Amino acid sequence: MVREIENVAGIPVVQIATIVPIMLTVGANRIVPGVAIPHPVGDPTREGEGDRAVRRQLLERALKAIMTPIEEQTVFTS
Amino acid sequence: MRLELHKVRIENVSWGETTEVRRGTLSINREEMLAVAMEEPRFAHAELEITRPGESVRIIPVKDVIEPRCKLSGPGEVFPGFVGGTCTVGEGSTLVLEGAAVVTSGSIVAFQEGLIDMSGPAAVYSPFSRTNNVVLVVEPVQGIDQHSYEAALREAGFRLAWYLADKSREAEVDEVKVYEMEGPVKESFKYPHLPRVAYFCMSITQGLLHDTFLYGADMKHLVPTLIHPNEKMDGAMVSGNCVSSCDKNTTWHHLNDPIVEELYERHGKDLVFLGVIPTLEDTRLAGKERTSSFNANLARSLGADGVVISEEGYGNPDTDLCMNAAKCEKLGIKTVVISDEAAGTDGRSQGLADATPEITAFVSTGNVNEMVELPPMDRVIGHDGSISNLSGGAEESLREDGSMFVELQAIIGSTNELGFSRIGARWV
Repeated sequence: MVREIENVAGIPVVQIATIVPIMLTVGANRIVPGVAIPHPVGDPTREGEGDRAVRRQLLERALKAIMTPIEEQTVFTS
Repeated sequence: MRLELHKVRIENVSWGETTEVRRGTLSINREEMLAVAMEEPRFAHAELEITRPGESVRIIPVKDVIEPRCKLSGPGEVFPGFVGGTCTVGEGSTLVLEGAAVVTSGSIVAFQEGLIDMSGPAAVYSPFSRTNNVVLVVEPVQGIDQHSYEAALREAGFRLAWYLADKSREAEVDEVKVYEMEGPVKESFKYPHLPRVAYFCMSITQGLLHDTFLYGADMKHLVPTLIHPNEKMDGAMVSGNCVSSCDKNTTWHHLNDPIVEELYERHGKDLVFLGVIPTLEDTRLAGKERTSSFNANLARSLGADGVVISEEGYGNPDTDLCMNAAKCEKLGIKTVVISDEAAGTDGRSQGLADATPEITAFVSTGNVNEMVELPPMDRVIGHDGSISNLSGGAEESLREDGSMFVELQAIIGSTNELGFSRIGARWV
């Protein structure tokens, strides 16, 4: 789906998911590593504000990734 | 370390006055066995059913399958951490009721459980269509959380499997099979010219009712370790998994692991079997990295020349599989992996979710998405409506006449990645 949206609609996509090697294998271009398979975009083990901070950080990283011009598959870890 | 498996062949199962084995028939006192099940306060209600190979019976949903075993001699008790204490096992002698199985069922614990047909097309795919099954069907007490229900059903299965074997101590033994091997250092000295082979037994350890236990310890909190293959035969590793049923390792599979069997058979002839490394499939990338590094390091420390790697499940564990193979190969340790494939209903999709060039020897145990037509059965043990919640099934899977159109993954053990199935792969 990630590749099709980029190919057909020409809209850049950033994928947040946990297992980065799989995303590299399937050909996602902008990759933001998620937290864990049951909770990729948050960390319920860090309650309340801790979880909220993780989620905000991931979202901001994803927005940064989507605005960054790239030439090859890129994993955004910061 | 020497373990004798005293095998009593079970050809039939029936209700009777006393629980015992007589001339190949496992006779069961239903009330007595039910009382053992109901020692569990988390069950509101329980029933026992029996079914034999060839009958028109469907068991659904199936959580776990356990072979009845108990220790006759030697330290500890089978299913350590659950039935006995946590003393290490794998020595002395163990009674096995071969051809019998305890099947745990009941109102569904979680969405990924499977079915057994005792006859018809699905019977070709599951080893449990060929065992004489004693099925525990339970209703938990109201308000119980899923994890507690899973634990109750899991533990009841071990208790009942032990109970059946314990009551059969007087039975005539058909075969005594001896498994004897020292640890990896001594065995390597004994056969210095043979290649040394370890076995990574990858296990689903992902929480949310997807867990495997080693000596009662929840494996997701462990790092990989080494056990003697005999320990597996005494139930050191057990299933607590509510996961896609085609390729989950039930407790029965762990007890009868064909990879252990084959490596043992060839030990001292054309290889040295170094032992079993029960290993994890973590939910975090860092966990997968750590685990695979530990595995490769353990293999290197043991002086392994080669490793056999079996996967449990599919999807994200494909990454663990790739990492395990790649890290060993980079150390010069040869690997062969055993896995099934999720290649779509037409079989045309990529089989694994991940890939790595270091995997050069791959044994496929089948396509989990293959569709199969299952005719109605005369009798259903459990709840056939639960097919809509099973992996491989859907709301429309169950038709009014009781027939089903499902993916292979709904049939328990159908693409088992220890290779315990009848599906073969062509050499390509």
